[in-house]
Amino acid sequence: MTRHSPLRRLGLKTALATALLAATSTLALAQQGSYKFGLAMPLTGGQALYGNDQVKAAQWAVDAINAAGGINGKKLEMIVLDTQADPQVGIQAVNRLISVDKVPAFVTAWSGVVKAVAPIANDNKIVELSVGANAPDIAKLGDYVYTTFPLADVDIRAVAQYSAKDMGKKKAAVLFINNETGIGSAVVYKDTFTKAGGEIVAYEAYDQKATDFTGPLLKIRAANAEIIHLQGLVAESPQIIAQARQLGITVPITSYSGIYNPKLIQQLGAAAEGVIATSLAPGVDDLPAVKDYVARWQKEMGREPNGLPYTQYLYDTPYLMAAVFGSLDKKGIAPTGENFRKEMLAIKSFDLPLTGKVEFSDDHTVSKPVYLVEVKGGKWTGKAVVNK
Amino acid sequence: MLNATVISQILWTSLATSSYFVLFALAFALVLKVNKVFNFAQAGMMTAGFYAAYVAVRIIGLPGPVGVMAAIAGGVVAAFVLEYAGFRVLRQRRASAMFVFIFTLVASQFITYAMTLVFGTWPTTIFESMFWPVTLVANVAVSAWDVPALGATLAVLIGLWAFLRFSRYGQFMIAVADNSDLAELYGIRKDRVLMISMLVAGAIVGVGMFLYGSRAQVQPAAATELMLFAVAATILGGIGNIWGAALAAVILGVVQNASILFIPSAWQGFLLYAFLFFSIVLFPAGFRLPDSRKALKKMRAAPAANAGQGG
Repeated sequence: MTRHSPLRRLGLKTALATALLAATSTLALAQQGSYKFGLAMPLTGGQALYGNDQVKAAQWAVDAINAAGGINGKKLEMIVLDTQADPQVGIQAVNRLISVDKVPAFVTAWSGVVKAVAPIANDNKIVELSVGANAPDIAKLGDYVYTTFPLADVDIRAVAQYSAKDMGKKKAAVLFINNETGIGSAVVYKDTFTKAGGEIVAYEAYDQKATDFTGPLLKIRAANAEIIHLQGLVAESPQIIAQARQLGITVPITSYSGIYNPKLIQQLGAAAEGVIATSLAPGVDDLPAVKDYVARWQKEMGREPNGLPYTQYLYDTPYLMAAVFGSLDKKGIAPTGENFRKEMLAIKSFDLPLTGKVEFSDDHTVSKPVYLVEVKGGKWTGKAVVNK
Repeated sequence: MLNATVISQILWTSLATSSYFVLFALAFALVLKVNKVFNFAQAGMMTAGFYAAYVAVRIIGLPGPVGVMAAIAGGVVAAFVLEYAGFRVLRQRRASAMFVFIFTLVASQFITYAMTLVFGTWPTTIFESMFWPVTLVANVAVSAWDVPALGATLAVLIGLWAFLRFSRYGQFMIAVADNSDLAELYGIRKDRVLMISMLVAGAIVGVGMFLYGSRAQVQPAAATELMLFAVAATILGGIGNIWGAALAAVILGVVQNASILFIPSAWQGFLLYAFLFFSIVLFPAGFRLPDSRKALKKMRAAPAANAGQGG
């Protein structure tokens, strides 16, 4: 065994310490060279159709931010993991984002996943941004859980209010799917419409497995409603509208963002006329940036994105992240989860490219304009903007 | 709201929409009777039938009648694969009835996931438009879909009856259903008969899914839920009684829809399971007509006579 003199041992230790220090500094610099956030979305499974398009939208935004110089010269890095829209897989993904990738904030969607990962975000003091999920109780999931997307009742209130006040309808019928979301939304519509001076003359739920809707529609027809609010899923809503028209029900039918897609008009033709839907993001006629965005999808993908408004929200999220990181960077504050939350709430209001202004409220909700669109002359046209 | 027009409308629409349920119940009951399998993989056959028609009509742009043929072909091909690569192999390995049942569940989900990978989860229809023009007959709205759908179902019912009654393989199917070992002793090739039973079921669900998919939106997992109605009708109609299953499907559909006159619409789904629960508890062998055995005996005698002539 070789023996070294004390001086030589000291020299070796000093060299080792210097090397270690240099390595640590390099690592720290490397880490400071970028700001990271997580994106946990369904990339596989039944919801992948939407999840992948939303991730693509977010990636376009990240690329655009970095191409424009990043965050004060530093790169914005997005770490994407798959949730399959499954709460259990979502928990695994978020645990990894927090413990391995050390992100101070992450984005996720689908109500089940948002709720399942909330305790992890709160325990680790990491900001969870829900972008697209709309279950009303998302606002009550804890100090570190926020949403940039309006929760379920915002558009339903808007459409009920508009029907009673602006359209002057006095008698409405509500037809809704018999599940948690359908029942909750139907109650919101009923309360809002009644408070606005209207009367609910028929209030019919249908079974989730129903394949024919003649019975409830005949009840509604017998009640002589002046307007019908339909709170169903995208799978059966077109059939319900078709059957309503076949049974001679010609009054306007309102619904929510779920039916706002070009396929409805293809499927129903003239029967779709007078159908009113909501959108929680501006459309191509409302904002030039949205027109360019949709044109880019057409050019690069040959189609519109699945769930256009949702992809708009996802596109905007990296801009929100960049604004918070940028502010922290300018102030020289470490990008921890706690600091990220403080800074996000201090900034409070963000102007985003495709969905406009978003302002975080103390009750963890956001208020956004609701865009009402109507099928007119065989296409969706803007009808009104509520909550401007 | 209870008046003659409303009652007539509900009865007519229920009858029209029961057309595809009759076909699903018929196919399920046939396989249960002949192959002795609770074939939950029928949901996979239904999904294959629908997407075959979807590809033919919506993607390739072929006319509707070709879509019907494609739906039948899709159901038949799926049935062939299930029987040849699944049930036949399981029989050779003497798999237990429970194992075969589990296989049907797995196969159904396998096809559903495969279709999801190919076609995604967005619901779609066979024709671009799902709106069918309506004619008022005595104030009852009769859509352009209703009459052809009922006609197609009636044609399938008559065709199946004639096949079972007059064709050699139809009679072999009855013989195998009655006693497969005895049928083999008489020279009937059981494997071939079981394959034909599956193929017939595949063709029937193909027609059923074409009817359903031309009126409502379908996504890969939809067939599983439609299947439950067929299972309920088969149990209510009496296990082993295919015509009973068809009749039960009509009655179930009408009762379920007409119930709106007396109970809130949200309870309509519950009604199906309430019927199912009580019928299983009170009539575990299903409702049987008193003279059904006589007819069965007649049919049993026919294949025995023909067996000696080959088969």
